[in-house]
Amino acid sequence: MKPSGSIPERYRRTITYIAAGFLILSVTLYLALPIAALFLRITPDLFFASLSDPQVTSALWLSLFTAVISLGVVILVGTPFAYVHTRCSYPGKVLVDTLIDLPLVLPPAVAGVALLVLYGRAGLVGRYFNMLGISIAFTTLAVIMAQIFVASPFYLRQAKSLFEQFDPAYEQTARTLGASPLRTFLAITLPLTAGGLGSGAVMTFGRALGEFGATIMFAGNLPGVTQTMPLAVYVGMESNLSSGVTISILLVIISFGIMIAVRLLASKKVQHA
Amino acid sequence: MERLLSKNSLILIGIVCGLLLATTFLAGCTSTAPQSPTPAATPQPVVTTAAPASTPAAAATGTPKPTFTPSQGNVVAFTAASLTGVSPTLASDFEKAYPGETVVFDLDGTQALKTQVENGAYADVFISASNSYTNALSKEGYFVNGTVKPLTSNYVIVILPAGNPRNITSLADLADPGVKIAMEDKSVPAGTATVAVLAKLANDTYNADWNSSVFKNVVSYETSEPAVATKVSLGEVDAGFVYESTYTAAPKNTYVAITIPKKDNYLQTYTIGVLKGSTSTGPAADFEKFMLSAAGQQDLLDFGFRPLGTS
Repeated sequence: MKPSGSIPERYRRTITYIAAGFLILSVTLYLALPIAALFLRITPDLFFASLSDPQVTSALWLSLFTAVISLGVVILVGTPFAYVHTRCSYPGKVLVDTLIDLPLVLPPAVAGVALLVLYGRAGLVGRYFNMLGISIAFTTLAVIMAQIFVASPFYLRQAKSLFEQFDPAYEQTARTLGASPLRTFLAITLPLTAGGLGSGAVMTFGRALGEFGATIMFAGNLPGVTQTMPLAVYVGMESNLSSGVTISILLVIISFGIMIAVRLLASKKVQHA
Repeated sequence: MERLLSKNSLILIGIVCGLLLATTFLAGCTSTAPQSPTPAATPQPVVTTAAPASTPAAAATGTPKPTFTPSQGNVVAFTAASLTGVSPTLASDFEKAYPGETVVFDLDGTQALKTQVENGAYADVFISASNSYTNALSKEGYFVNGTVKPLTSNYVIVILPAGNPRNITSLADLADPGVKIAMEDKSVPAGTATVAVLAKLANDTYNADWNSSVFKNVVSYETSEPAVATKVSLGEVDAGFVYESTYTAAPKNTYVAITIPKKDNYLQTYTIGVLKGSTSTGPAADFEKFMLSAAGQQDLLDFGFRPLGTS
């Protein structure tokens, strides 16, 4: 065993390196090749031609507009919610915790059906809105609501864990120096968690931008009103493949931007930690 | 009212069940929650980049294969979604007529099925709701020569939710401000037919203003014909353009219908053909034979399709 052990040791190393390299390469290729195929499928001329297609541009602007609003709502409501939620203990807190995570595991199509049977014109709550002359389903508002429902957990989870781990000593110091709870939150807690909150926000934005299932169920598919980029990809696939590919490429580029932003925000966090 | 209440209680029961289900996840979720924030954020990006690119693609091309592996005796039939209602009857009658052979329907908008076939999806038989898509696939050489045959036909009709809450009584009312209409995207055969019908109606009976007002009232262009019917039956829209067969085959009192005069209507002809890639050619030919036989045609008639040769 011993004499034979020294030579195979070398082999073992080489084999380990080869195996590790193969593993890394295969995972990388598996993830990167489909993206590369998208770019190879279309010529730059065709890409820029479809870029001026009104269906593509209206989907692009609608997507950006709705995702920005969704993100704004999630930040404005989600930040104080997450703070109050982590600082207070109240009955049913565990249930609320679970509910926050639910949209992460729920198929978006199910979320869309659920939103429709609640806010739809014949829905549980929607019928009363309808009596007041307010319709929600099949409007841009429905797109935003679907995005918020599906994407908010990314921000809420992040905010929750940031506030949970935030050293209470900072807040206590500020409070002993006479700052109000609100001022403490705005001047101490928020700035020190901003990097982490930012990366949560970017993830939420990305998820909102990619929302498909809930949108097509709850908001329908009307160019310029509810047809966001992922829906335009779906419709484009069935009629005009090059516009579908163009929008897909745009989404890939935006996704890359999102990843870079998350990286930058995450590295920024290290400075004050 | 009683029906509404029972519906409500069903929904409530659903919510309660959902919450109960949710609580079963409690242990798992709470234990993962207090992870440090940065590691929690890093693995998630993968989810987001995957979502926009893969969801539509999966919906468009990923559907056909998983349930059935093609083998002798089984027929995979890519079938226009408007045959959804009649498909179980067709399947059981086919299996009765040809013991030992079975058929699995993959139902979607013809335009989606066409894209799937062009991108290599496996199917034995293709049932199309549109001549132009059939011709396109024919030209590209996807069909076994001589197998493409007209199958049945269908007219366009307007359906309204039960009770007709908006009190729509004529095609003219469809142009009233505030009426919510659902129709198929123009890539869907039923959508193409609807656009043609509206143009003819505008030309013969109404006018261009009526036509543009109707389009202004459209709140959603759905990607299949049954999706329009669903939006109407839920009462989410006031009117929808679907095939006659959808109205005829639906249980009584599901919809109120407004018919479109024959001279303005659009007779959609369905075709059936065996695909070249089929490895199950015997059963595929049998299935086509069955669909064109008296028994298959009777099933289609029972579900509101028009016989071939309808004018």
